[in-house]
Amino acid sequence: MSGLRVAVPKGAIFGDALRALEAAGFSVEALRGNGRRLVYREADAEFILSRPSDVPVFVEYGAADIGIVGKDVLEEQEPNVIELKDLGTGFCRMVLAAPEREAERMQQRISHSEVVRVATKFPRTTQRYFEEMGRQAEVIALHGSVELAPLVGLAECIVDLTATGTTLRENHLVVLDEISTSTARLISNRGSYRLRNAEIVALVEAIERSGVSIG
Amino acid sequence: MELRLQGKFATTPGTRDVLPPESVRLLEVQDKVRERFRAWGFREVITPALEYSEVIEEPRLRDTSFKLFDADNQMLMLRPEMTAPIARLVSQRLRNSPPPYKLSYSLPVYRRTRVGRGQSAEFHQAGVEVVGSTSPAEDAGAVALLVDVFEALDLRAREDFAVVLGQTAFYEGYLQRRAPEAATELLSALAAKDLAKVDAFADALPDEAAAGAREIPRIVGPAADGSVLERAGKYAEEGKARQALENLRGILDHLEAYGCLEAVILDLGLIGRYNYYTGAVYEAYSPGLGFTVASGGRYDNLLERFGRPLPATGFAISLERLLSVLPEKDPEPLLVLVGGSVEATRSANLLRQSGVPVLQLAEDLPPEKTAAYARAVDASWVCYPAQEDRLKLARVEDGRIGDFELVSVDEIAWKVLS
Repeated sequence: MSGLRVAVPKGAIFGDALRALEAAGFSVEALRGNGRRLVYREADAEFILSRPSDVPVFVEYGAADIGIVGKDVLEEQEPNVIELKDLGTGFCRMVLAAPEREAERMQQRISHSEVVRVATKFPRTTQRYFEEMGRQAEVIALHGSVELAPLVGLAECIVDLTATGTTLRENHLVVLDEISTSTARLISNRGSYRLRNAEIVALVEAIERSGVSIG
Repeated sequence: MELRLQGKFATTPGTRDVLPPESVRLLEVQDKVRERFRAWGFREVITPALEYSEVIEEPRLRDTSFKLFDADNQMLMLRPEMTAPIARLVSQRLRNSPPPYKLSYSLPVYRRTRVGRGQSAEFHQAGVEVVGSTSPAEDAGAVALLVDVFEALDLRAREDFAVVLGQTAFYEGYLQRRAPEAATELLSALAAKDLAKVDAFADALPDEAAAGAREIPRIVGPAADGSVLERAGKYAEEGKARQALENLRGILDHLEAYGCLEAVILDLGLIGRYNYYTGAVYEAYSPGLGFTVASGGRYDNLLERFGRPLPATGFAISLERLLSVLPEKDPEPLLVLVGGSVEATRSANLLRQSGVPVLQLAEDLPPEKTAAYARAVDASWVCYPAQEDRLKLARVEDGRIGDFELVSVDEIAWKVLS
């Protein structure tokens, strides 16, 4: 076997992930094309493309040796993997948001520990957030377009990721609280990290040397 | 269309029926593991599947265990692991015999699983516990026994498996001396395998403490390579860290004497779950399997809970995972003898006496049906009684019967068993 197998997330942090891998000396040009392939075999490594939320699954099970994924996904799934490095890129915030005209009332209701209905793609993060605050929530798990939920009365507020806040604004949602911040992380399978330590350390050091991360 | 079974006739989520040939292989592996445990003087115990919930303390294990209530409304758990039950057994039952206690087990354990994670709710653990000794020779012995088990199952060190060895007290000792205020955070970040968080905490420390806080968890390399411990030596001038490193050196000396240093990778960032292990800690990995095949370590504080403070060390092997990394093996030979006559029974009896495993079919099946049957039971030979003391024998390959030849019982034994 030659070369590591790397899980690369499609979507928002795809570009950042490729830049980090390029900085580590991998040839990733083939991945930039608009192909539909899921596996790219290069001379120095093999790349698999997956949904961001599936990256930790591939890595935890050893189907990929390393992967790049947002901290938000790691906090939601708590996979048993080694988090090697904060790449510093792909910054975004996990926020609690509500419709503009309801915002004040929601704030009050939450602070009075009333049960509020929250739609989110991150049910465990949401549940944990409300529990740690001593507040109560009814969590509704969705797979996309969470902003839609308060507009049609499915939920009263949402917990979601935002980078620039544009989507929130367009849907007349305002931020009530910031739950956490997230950046892209390099993760490794536990076995691969030990059995192929030299290769993985070389990769981390190459990324560090290149200074791709903004920290 | 096939008839679909009603839901309640399936096995419960995460459990399964284990069928041949897998079940046969699992039992063979279990036999081999037990044989090695016995060869090292471990004596096997059996504990109940049900324990009072108080026996298990670890929150994650409590959360994932199956719970039920007995007639007195006491909460019971199906054992999620074996170390705590053994600790209970030692504390309660072995008060009148002298330590150290070298006990082994091979039993199923139970954990609730989430659907879609590909995990089992019931799996087999085989392991040993050495209770009542702090000697590094016992830690090394446990690691060497683990290596012995793998090699007895034809796995090759470093190619097919490696044991990763760490020492929790080393990083802990370093932090307690150099950065006591950040020790808890750094240790729990490392127990969560979050090196990015370790770096973030280390960045906030004064320079001389930060170097070790960042570096120690990243010291990884072959145990046979002296430079790995040299790297660690820089951070072990005094106190607990120094003792921990000496302990690790001692373990490595014994492992060298066992001749199994090649199989070991050192990783000073391996500390196991938070606040549980107190010294050597190790995990066994195999390339191609993302999970640990076995794990263990020294847990000198556990038995205090049971009123008998004794140091202890041990490991558990996940037999299903071990089985999944073993090379394929042909099934044991089996002969299907077709015929319900007394003559056929006599032949079957003679064949078994000469050591041939025989499945006698009392139905007089024609060869093509026998072929299908032989295939279903993984038999590699079929035979029919022919004349007096001779039988018609044929090999079964890819579900097809080859040419029959007329042979004696002795010749069959020679052919089947060779």
